[in-house]
Amino acid sequence: MLHQALWDSCRDLAEDCLTHPFVRGLAQGTLDPAVFRDYVAQDAFYLRAFMKSYALALARCDEPGAAQAFHELIGGVLQEMAMHREYARTLGVKLAAARPNAACLAYTDFLLATAWGRTLGEILAAMTPCMRLYAWLGQNLARQATPENPYRRWIETYGAAEFDQLAARIESLLDAYATDSPEIRDAYRYAMECELRFFSAVMPALTV
Amino acid sequence: MEQPSWSDSELIMRAGDLWAEATCSPFLDAAATGTLPEDAFGRWLAQDYLFARGLTGYQAIALAKAPRDAHRVLIGGLVALDRELEWFENHAERRGISLAERPHPVCRAYVDFLMRSAYTQPWPVLAAILFGVEASYLAAWSRLTPSGPYAEFIERWSNQAFVHYVSDLAVLARRYPHPDAQDGFNQVLVYERDFWRMAWEG
Repeated sequence: MLHQALWDSCRDLAEDCLTHPFVRGLAQGTLDPAVFRDYVAQDAFYLRAFMKSYALALARCDEPGAAQAFHELIGGVLQEMAMHREYARTLGVKLAAARPNAACLAYTDFLLATAWGRTLGEILAAMTPCMRLYAWLGQNLARQATPENPYRRWIETYGAAEFDQLAARIESLLDAYATDSPEIRDAYRYAMECELRFFSAVMPALTV
Repeated sequence: MEQPSWSDSELIMRAGDLWAEATCSPFLDAAATGTLPEDAFGRWLAQDYLFARGLTGYQAIALAKAPRDAHRVLIGGLVALDRELEWFENHAERRGISLAERPHPVCRAYVDFLMRSAYTQPWPVLAAILFGVEASYLAAWSRLTPSGPYAEFIERWSNQAFVHYVSDLAVLARRYPHPDAQDGFNQVLVYERDFWRMAWEG
């Protein structure tokens, strides 16, 4: 399956994300809350672009089944956005005032430029890494996190079976609408690189 | 009444230190003295080619949104971009530089910014962005004296025809102001600064 081949080709970047100090800090519950607040603000900005990209992908669909899948995926993003608003309330993050950092802007511009101008297959290749990576990270972290971990909610959200199903949903769309090509592989890998830079932007550690 | 010069643009004045950061670089200094390392030149050539291809797409979409009085300037610019791409291709072939490179993350982010803006921003913001791209390039190269091994490159982006083009873009940007124009212009300068750094440092 194409989605598996693409994920396998980017395992190096997935491992870099898993061992990134930001993600290790979440796993161990030792992450500086100020860094997490910054991350939440950036991620909220990112999710707005992600939601629009789903909508632009949906606009390219003629089949009701695919439209239904995008409708569900948009529902998933809206739930994530609600979670971010709750984090923002409890942690005191002003989401509306947040300006994107360079890594966040590069990633969201990539998503939106792809979503507005490229094929449905390329849009899916650009969007799938975020979903699969977060499901994979969530499941990995769920095995390590203690009940006292202050980031347990984040870990449980992405480690949940429901989130894995959403990731599998977009992967099945990717398999249906994309064919293996240099453009598809490049979009997928670049999105994975953007994920790693997204962590490094709030907590410098690695560069790609 | 004489038109104000492109360099009197309020967009430039309000950009503050970013303007100098975007238009001065050790890369350019080394090009002027003929001491530019070959790998830096090759990197710049390949990445600038990829950027010019992206800019062509941006300008085509901007043209589709532009009012009638901007058509001639934008279409003229597109014709010049086509010639420029060919010029890059010839240079790369002569010097044995591959243009089939993967875009550097800085180049990619810059082009993605342009394309996202092209699709989502109104014409006046697109005019400010395009003026930023070309005016910063004119300023960067025209600080140098066209001599030495890179004289042809310096001349290309500091000649009178390019000055006229940038002046026309300045007129359009001034004619169509917008509250978000400065943000777009400043973001261009951030990417110009980062692009020169990337070309110099890798």
